[in-house]
Amino acid sequence: MDKKYVPRITSFLCKWCSYTGADLAGTSRLQYPTAIIPIKVMCSSRVDPVFILRAFLKGSDGVLLGGCHPGDCHYETGNYHTRRRFAIVKTVFESLGLEAERIRLSWISASEGPKFARVANEFTETIIAMGENPVKKKIFL
Amino acid sequence: MNDTERSAARMRSPEGIRGSLHDFLKIAVDKGAVDSVLAPVKVPAENSYAWILMNDPAVIESASPVAPVMPVQGAKALKSLTRKGKGESRILAVMRPCEIRAGIELMKLNQVHFDNIVLVSYDCPGAVPFQDYVKDPGFSEESFGKMIASGRPGEENIKPACGICTEFSIVDSDIHFGYFGVDEGSAFVIPVSEQGAELLDAIGLDRDAKIADWESEISSIRDKRTKKRTETLSAAGERIKGLDGLINAFRKCIGCHNCMSVCPICYCRQCYFDSEVSKKDPDFIFEIAEKRGAMAFPRDKVMFHAGRMTHMSLSCVSCGFCTDACPTGIPVAEIFSYMADITQPTFEYIAGKNNGEPLPLRKFEKKELPLVHEIVKSAEGEEGSDE
Repeated sequence: MDKKYVPRITSFLCKWCSYTGADLAGTSRLQYPTAIIPIKVMCSSRVDPVFILRAFLKGSDGVLLGGCHPGDCHYETGNYHTRRRFAIVKTVFESLGLEAERIRLSWISASEGPKFARVANEFTETIIAMGENPVKKKIFL
Repeated sequence: MNDTERSAARMRSPEGIRGSLHDFLKIAVDKGAVDSVLAPVKVPAENSYAWILMNDPAVIESASPVAPVMPVQGAKALKSLTRKGKGESRILAVMRPCEIRAGIELMKLNQVHFDNIVLVSYDCPGAVPFQDYVKDPGFSEESFGKMIASGRPGEENIKPACGICTEFSIVDSDIHFGYFGVDEGSAFVIPVSEQGAELLDAIGLDRDAKIADWESEISSIRDKRTKKRTETLSAAGERIKGLDGLINAFRKCIGCHNCMSVCPICYCRQCYFDSEVSKKDPDFIFEIAEKRGAMAFPRDKVMFHAGRMTHMSLSCVSCGFCTDACPTGIPVAEIFSYMADITQPTFEYIAGKNNGEPLPLRKFEKKELPLVHEIVKSAEGEEGSDE
């Protein structure tokens, strides 16, 4: 693999917290990898398990799901549901023997720009260490 | 279900459980305890069974409450009748335990309403695979007849899902007919709910039989089945492990979505996997094909099956209809049951139990899921908190 390999990390970020957190990271001139491809969602609970699965099976090297801290949801309880859904995706990934480390749920609030940058950096490093998503080479999927 | 010792009525018929259940239907309608009956009836061509809603005594006479095959999941029939709320008439529905459990899941999804329904279940010996029945109805009828007469669950000529079924007996119905291990020709009529007890009183069945022997028989069969289920499913799990295992498991899939259309749990009017959104632009497909050097069609087989696992495995009752419907013989039910037996315990949930609990995805606890907490903590480092 070439040194300049940049993974693709599909990131579903909640509009109220994580997306704003990413914005803050940007306006604070914090560096985070270009691997992160943000997708704004109105709430992290908008992300159906299949979105994560689809991103993974279509070749994203990692999938990041960002939401408000539990208790801080703009819609009051959205992120509690996110946690349950994410638990299902994680369980399905693990029991199918897919690489569950490639998917990650993080709580990042709107004021946590530095934390967003850190999560982005950490996760990108993990993914780079894991290498490319093996689905990219599969013909029968 | 109550914890006090159950009292049961006893019914006898020269035709065994089939006769007793049939008599019960007739009595219930005769005495006006219910308005109509929903039960399987053999189709005139004599090569299948159909769910029939009936109140004509002549039609009820032709009913086969214990049918050898399950062409359509009973919960689907119930859904057609009650999806818009409770009906006007009171219906007695005779169904297999898995059909009732699927019905309970659909009730939680607001697709079935039990208000005017009396559910009758019975000790299920298993069902003949539909394809086998269609090929040779005579042989299947005969082997199923023997199975019923033996008073034990079937071992051969039944669906694979039935062979590893642990919920073959009493479920959260209203009335249960227990006959496994009971002397030939007789069956216990066990009231499960209050509604069931009232109905038994209304038609004048005295509850004086002791059923402890039957209960211990059921639990010993269940122990054996649980062992077999664990073994079978963990072997299935090993076979599909990893991306390659998964691709291999579904290599024969032709993308017909039969498994989904017969699934009682998949009730959505528009499924994501049938929608335009799930189909990619040809340009994109060319691009991928070019990158990978080749591309197989139909695409997204793994996504379809793994996606369904995330959507319905929490409610899967292991009824085995998906395997029955698969034209290429993929053991779909085995794979989905494997997943169900992992995802349901994650939320300490048992599909098909009617204990007033909503579906796991419709509720939450403020502090829960150590599994996801850990994930969150490792993401947040030492600063992490879940509150």
